[in-house]
Amino acid sequence: MKSILTLISPRYLAIVRQGLTTRKLIGMSFFAGIGMVIWSIIFYVSYRVLTYFKHAENIGDFLSYKLLSMILLTLFSLLIFSAILTALSKLFLSNDLGLVHSLPVRSETIFIARWIESTFDSSWMMLLYTAPVFIAFGIVFDGSLLYYFLLLISLLFMSIIACGLSSLIIMPIVLILPATRIRSVFVFFGLGMFLLLYIGFRIMQPERFVNPEGFASIMLYLRSISMPSTPLIPCTWVFDTLKSSLEHLYIDAVFHISILFSFSSALICLNVIIARFIYFKGYSKSQTAQSRLIAGNNQFIYRLTNKISGPVRAVLIKEMKTFWRDQTQWSQLFLIAALIVIYLYNFSVLPFDQSPMKAHYIENVFSFLNIALAAFVMTAIGARFVFPSISHEGMSFWIIQSSPISIKTYLWIKWIGYFIPLIVLSELLIITTNILLHVNPFMKILSVITMLCITPGIVATGIGLGAAYPDFKSENPTQTVTGFGGLMYMFCSSAFFGSVVLLETGPVYIFFKSHFRFEFFSNTDIAIIILCFLLALLICVMMLYLPMRFGERRLTQTMQTISHKNGDALNLLT
Amino acid sequence: MIKLIHLSKQYGNHTAINDVQLTVNAGEIFGFIGPNGAGKTTTIQIMAGLLVPTSGNVILSDVSMNDHPVKAKQLVGYIPDRPFIYEKLTGIEYLRFIGDFYHVPPSTFRARSEELLTQFSLMDRCNELIEAYSHGMKQRLIMASALLHDPPIIIVDEPMVGLDPVAIKLVRDIFQQRSAQGTTIFMSTHTLSLAEQICHRVGIIHHGQLISTGTMDELKSCAKHGTNDLEDIFIQLTYENKKEL
Repeated sequence: MKSILTLISPRYLAIVRQGLTTRKLIGMSFFAGIGMVIWSIIFYVSYRVLTYFKHAENIGDFLSYKLLSMILLTLFSLLIFSAILTALSKLFLSNDLGLVHSLPVRSETIFIARWIESTFDSSWMMLLYTAPVFIAFGIVFDGSLLYYFLLLISLLFMSIIACGLSSLIIMPIVLILPATRIRSVFVFFGLGMFLLLYIGFRIMQPERFVNPEGFASIMLYLRSISMPSTPLIPCTWVFDTLKSSLEHLYIDAVFHISILFSFSSALICLNVIIARFIYFKGYSKSQTAQSRLIAGNNQFIYRLTNKISGPVRAVLIKEMKTFWRDQTQWSQLFLIAALIVIYLYNFSVLPFDQSPMKAHYIENVFSFLNIALAAFVMTAIGARFVFPSISHEGMSFWIIQSSPISIKTYLWIKWIGYFIPLIVLSELLIITTNILLHVNPFMKILSVITMLCITPGIVATGIGLGAAYPDFKSENPTQTVTGFGGLMYMFCSSAFFGSVVLLETGPVYIFFKSHFRFEFFSNTDIAIIILCFLLALLICVMMLYLPMRFGERRLTQTMQTISHKNGDALNLLT
Repeated sequence: MIKLIHLSKQYGNHTAINDVQLTVNAGEIFGFIGPNGAGKTTTIQIMAGLLVPTSGNVILSDVSMNDHPVKAKQLVGYIPDRPFIYEKLTGIEYLRFIGDFYHVPPSTFRARSEELLTQFSLMDRCNELIEAYSHGMKQRLIMASALLHDPPIIIVDEPMVGLDPVAIKLVRDIFQQRSAQGTTIFMSTHTLSLAEQICHRVGIIHHGQLISTGTMDELKSCAKHGTNDLEDIFIQLTYENKKEL
C-alpha cells in the first residue's frame, strides 16, 4: 500500500506545489466560470425536460426513467472508451514509465498505482458534467439525501468497472498489437460508431414524431419505453439503484449497489492477477519501436516542388510527411470528415417545401447564415489542425531555431501549408451547400468571396495564436486547443467571422429588398454597401497580419522566457 | 572565425553569462569546458542563434548574428547535446529537409548525403523512420546533417554523448580533418581527455565568466601547483574560484 502511495505521490505533489501566481489564478477563475456556465445550462435543460415529462400523465415517469437509462448507458460507453485511451497512455506509453519500472517494486504495484490514476483521469470530467442531470432527477423526483449518497457511490463503482473492463481489454491486446496503434484503432472505432449512430438517427427522421399522425400505435410506443434494459450490464445496476432510491425503496437500492460493489471488487482482483502475469510483458513490448521501412525516397514530391524555394519546400514536405505518418492525426481527419458529412446531409434534408414562408426567400436567408456556419466549421478544423501545428514541432523546434530562416518566414510557410487545403475545402463546402439550397447568383458569389476573404484570417489566427501559446512538451499537442490559447483562438476566430458576417447583413438586406420589390439602389444604399464591404475587407486584412505578428513576437519571447524560468538555457526545450 | 564580443545573458536576476570575450580563429578547434550550470550551453545557443543575448554580439566569419541572423546561421553547422529530431521522417528525408534549408542543390545532395550516411554508418537504415533509431544513431544523423552544407563553422554541444567508441573515434577524426581544411570548430565538452587530445585552445567558463583561455601549455603554466593534467587544472581553477566566490 505504501509503495502505491509513493508511486502516486509525484502526481499529487505536482498539483499541490504548482506556484499559484495571480495570472494563473485569473486563468483558473476564467475556466471555472466557463465550466460553471456550462454546468448550469446542463442543469437547467435537464430540470426543464424532467419537469415537462413529470406533467405528462401516465407516461411521464416512464419517459424520465427511459431517459435516465439512456443517459447511464451512454455515460458507461463513454467511460469505457475514455478509460481505454487513458489506460493505454498511463499503463504503456507515458514517458516516466521507464523510471518507474526501474524501481524495486512489483509490476502489479505499478499497475495498481497507474490504474488508480487512469480511473480518476478518465472519469472525473464526465462525472462532473453529468452530475447536474442526476441532481435534476433528485429534485424533480423529490429524492432524499440517501439518493445523493447512493448516486455518488454508484457512479464511483461505475467508473471503477469501466476502467477495470478497459484494462482487462487492453492488457492482452498490447501483447499482440503495438500500443500506439491500439489507440488509433479505438479512436477510429469510436468515431465510426458515432458517425453510424448519428446517420442512423437522422435517417429515422425523429422530427416526424412531433407530427400527431405519427403516433399510430401508442401502445407499441409505451411498451417499448417501459421495457427494462438487460440486467447483465453494469449501467442497469446503477439505473436500478437510482430508480429504487428515487422511489424510496432503499432495501432494493442497497441490493443493487451491493451487486455493483461485488462486481467492482472482483474486477479489481482479476486485473491485479492478470497484471501480475502479463502487464510487464506488455509494457516491455510497447517500448520496442517498430521499424518501418518507407519505400524508397519518393522523388515525385521533390520534383513537383523543385521550383519552390528551399526552406518553403523543406517545411511543406516535412509537414505533409509527418502528418500522414502520424496515426493520431488520422482520427482527427476522420472526425472532420464525419462533421462535414453530417453538415452536408443536414442541408440536403431541410424541409423548405413545408415552410409557411416563400421557399426562395428562406433558401437565401439560409445561404447567408451558412457563411457563418461554414466559417465555424473552418474554425473547428483550424482548432484541430492549424492551432496545434506549432506545438507539433515539440522538442525538435531547435532545428527551426537554428536554421537559416526567421521565425516570421517559418510562420508564413506554415500558413501557406494550411491555407491551401483549407481554402479548397471551404470553397467546396460553400459551393456544395449553395447548390443544395438552390440560392440565387448574388448569394453564390457573395458567399464564395466571403469565404475567400475569411479563410486566410482563420488560418492566420490559428498559426499566430498557436505560436503565441505553444506547448512543446505536450505528449499530445492536439490537446493544446483545450488550453487558454485554444480558447483565445476559438474566441478570436468566431468574433472575426461573426463581425464580417454581421457587416454583410446590411448589403444583403438592401439587395433582397430591391430584388423582391423590383427597385433600384438609392445613393444611400450604394454608400452603405460600399462602406460595409470595405470595413469587412479591412477586418479580413487585419486578421491576416495581426495574429501572425502577435504569434511571431510571443514565440520569440517565449523561447527566451522558457530558458529564464529554467535558469539554464540547456533546458530550453526540455 | 568566431568572435564573441562582450557577450552577456540575463534570465531575470540570474546572470547566465557575463561579459564573455573570445576570438576563435579559422581552422581552430576550441574546447569550451566548465562545471554544470556554468553557462556553456547558453553561450553555445547564443552562437547558434537559438537565444538572443542581453548585450554583446556574436560575429561569425564577419557576419553579425544580431544584425543578420539568417545569413549568420547559414555559416553554421550546429549539433546539440540531445538528439530531438522529427521522428516521422526517414534518415534520408531528414537530410533532404536540412539540405533544403541550406540550399544544397539536388545534384550535390545525392553524392553528399550518400557520402555522409556511409561515413556515419547509417546508409543501411536511411529509409527507416527515425523513431526506430537508437540514441546514438540519431546523434550521428544530426552530425551528418550539420556537415551536409559544408559549413565554415561547426558549433557542437557535448559531441560524444551517446556515441559508441567507434563513433567517438570517427567524430574525432572528422573534426581534426575538417579543422585542417580550415573549418572552425567550437566544442563544449565534459570529456576533458577529448579536449586535451584535439583542441588547439581551451576556454574554462565558471559562473558565467570566462576565467581562463589558452593552449594546453599556456594553461599548464598558469596552474599554481604545476600539473600536466587538464583535469587538475580544471578542478584547481573552478574550485578555487568557488572558494573565492
